Amino acid sequence: MSDNLKDSIAWMKSAKGITILGSLLLATYATINSGPYILVNTIITGGMLALVSTGLTLMLGVLNIAMFAHGEFFMIGSLSAYYVFTPISNYTTLHPDSFLVIWGPLVAIFASMVVGAIAGIISEFLVFRPLRKRASDNWVMNSFLLTVGLSVLLVNLHQLIFGADFKGIIRYWGGMPLSFADVFISRDRVISFCLSVFIVFLFWVFMSYTRTGRAIRAVSQDATGAQIVGINIETIVLITISLSCALAGVAGGSLLFMYPAYPTMGLEPLYMAWFVVILSGLGNILGAVAGAFMVALLKVVTVEYVGAGWDFVVPSILIMLVLIFKPSGIFGSEVRGVLDT
Amino acid sequence: METTKTAQSSPASGALLGKIGFNPAGILCVLLLLALPFIPPFNQEYLLRWLIYAAYIATLSVGFDFTAGFINIVNFGYAAVAGFGGYTSALLAVNFGISPWIGIFLGGANAAILGLIIGMISLRLRGIFAACLSWFFGLALMGLATKLVWLTRGPLGLRTPRMFETESNVPFYYLIIVLLILTYIICKMVVNSKVGLAFKAIGQNMDAARTSGINPVFYRVFNFTLSCALAGVIGGFYAHYYGILTPNVMHTTKTVEVLAVAYIGGRGSLWGGAVIAFPFIFLMEIVRSTLSNLPGLNLVIYALMLILVMIYYPGGFSYFFDTHVRQSKNKIIRALLNKK
Repeated sequence: MSDNLKDSIAWMKSAKGITILGSLLLATYATINSGPYILVNTIITGGMLALVSTGLTLMLGVLNIAMFAHGEFFMIGSLSAYYVFTPISNYTTLHPDSFLVIWGPLVAIFASMVVGAIAGIISEFLVFRPLRKRASDNWVMNSFLLTVGLSVLLVNLHQLIFGADFKGIIRYWGGMPLSFADVFISRDRVISFCLSVFIVFLFWVFMSYTRTGRAIRAVSQDATGAQIVGINIETIVLITISLSCALAGVAGGSLLFMYPAYPTMGLEPLYMAWFVVILSGLGNILGAVAGAFMVALLKVVTVEYVGAGWDFVVPSILIMLVLIFKPSGIFGSEVRGVLDT
Repeated sequence: METTKTAQSSPASGALLGKIGFNPAGILCVLLLLALPFIPPFNQEYLLRWLIYAAYIATLSVGFDFTAGFINIVNFGYAAVAGFGGYTSALLAVNFGISPWIGIFLGGANAAILGLIIGMISLRLRGIFAACLSWFFGLALMGLATKLVWLTRGPLGLRTPRMFETESNVPFYYLIIVLLILTYIICKMVVNSKVGLAFKAIGQNMDAARTSGINPVFYRVFNFTLSCALAGVIGGFYAHYYGILTPNVMHTTKTVEVLAVAYIGGRGSLWGGAVIAFPFIFLMEIVRSTLSNLPGLNLVIYALMLILVMIYYPGGFSYFFDTHVRQSKNKIIRALLNKK
């Protein structure tokens, strides 16, 4: 009993404990002070961020690619969801009792996931693999700059092909909003949140219990060692990139009703996902999920108490403080040194 | 060709040129730039505006390469630092009536303080983490510039007094060319000294550098301070040339633009970015204005160039120049490159 107590006190004193307890306290205070909608907003934003940032942290942990183009895969996802969902929506307005009323949005979201994965695979073949073949020294910096180029390329290809206007939809499912604790939340938000929780859970199960997931983690710990025990690195790299881009794509697709597709839409999820990854440390999926909710809380609280538009300033200052005092991130003690070159 | 002869005849002038990082070919390039406003297609005002923008990017890329190419840390908030210097100078001019000629140097000093801070807090971080930190710094600065509406007027734009009271672009052009050359000479002189050697050692292998008695703290902070100070001065020029300053000048895409030019020009060369910026920016502007029904095409080309150079020719233009032109047997070319 006393051992347990000691352990928990030690946990509370660690950086992990302080931040988690601190954010729980902040959440409770804000909820009591301004009403439960803060909590609801935090949870829904956090679900989306968790999807994007788990993909980013996977890229960083396994492939050592500091992805700058992750937001563009978010954009690809929402764009493909738009082009799949628009004909479906036209069809369902003519046939209101078709099965597509319920399943159509899911088809669109699934399509966004598939297109995201395919885009990831294409970029692996066209961009990352040639670089890996040609030069391995200073890989982190070079691949980072390469993703910068990829990001500019994708943004402007979108503008060139699909135009710069907003391509959005009004709703996926619609219907009466649900009410939780005196807060009305639209059905779309609830469903997309449930979807993101489900996907993150599936992803976690995949990483923890399947052979491929274990192989991915093995590669992230030691690529050479993994190769010795017979893991095919190229396959793992391909799977990782497609998974991480699929996660970004599905986040974009399921949030199409909130964020319409336009060329530079990827920047905000990108900043936020980077905040999460730096905050939570690299290659730690559960840490990224926790960090996603913390950053979401920070963002919502900032918008509530400081004002809209400050949600870049306050989180980035806090993240800088984290970087100064704990460069490996809050949950990142295990995989420290992956990028330490 | 006059300069070539003098360089050949008197070795002393050649040595002097070498000390400030020039060879006769470089001098020829500078003369060409100085003559450009009088050569027919370029004497139109809108082409001059493009040239000024190209020179602005070229100057920033020299300062950027001073950090990225030598201590191997990408300062991802570089445009934000330049914008910070610009805002300092502009606010001083608007609120206190300080002349832009003094203001741009005060802006540079202010940006130097900022660089000192970034350099100090990024000391514990390496590589990509330092880049992230400077990126977040840039984001925070841009957020501040957008939201402190009472001070900067936010996205509405701050009207600033221009440096010359004329409609003509020619004086501005000469000013930015002078700034470009000064920036280049300052960076080159630092890099050619012992300090530059220490920078390279730190950039290649920090532990080895530390073992051989180099104190990375001083050199990294010094490098950040100097490159940010230069960015601040150039940002001041930007503010007082366009006459209007919006937070957009601090945006990450501006940094990406500078980065692309610096890397296509060749990292670690300083002059590569400055040389490549002129044809490159010019080409982009031509594509943008002639194919205006295809918006974004110029940036697609831009990004493709960056990706291709990064993968297939990481040395960039300066590497090409060093391997194919500098080894040439041709006597005239050797004379131009200041070789005996």
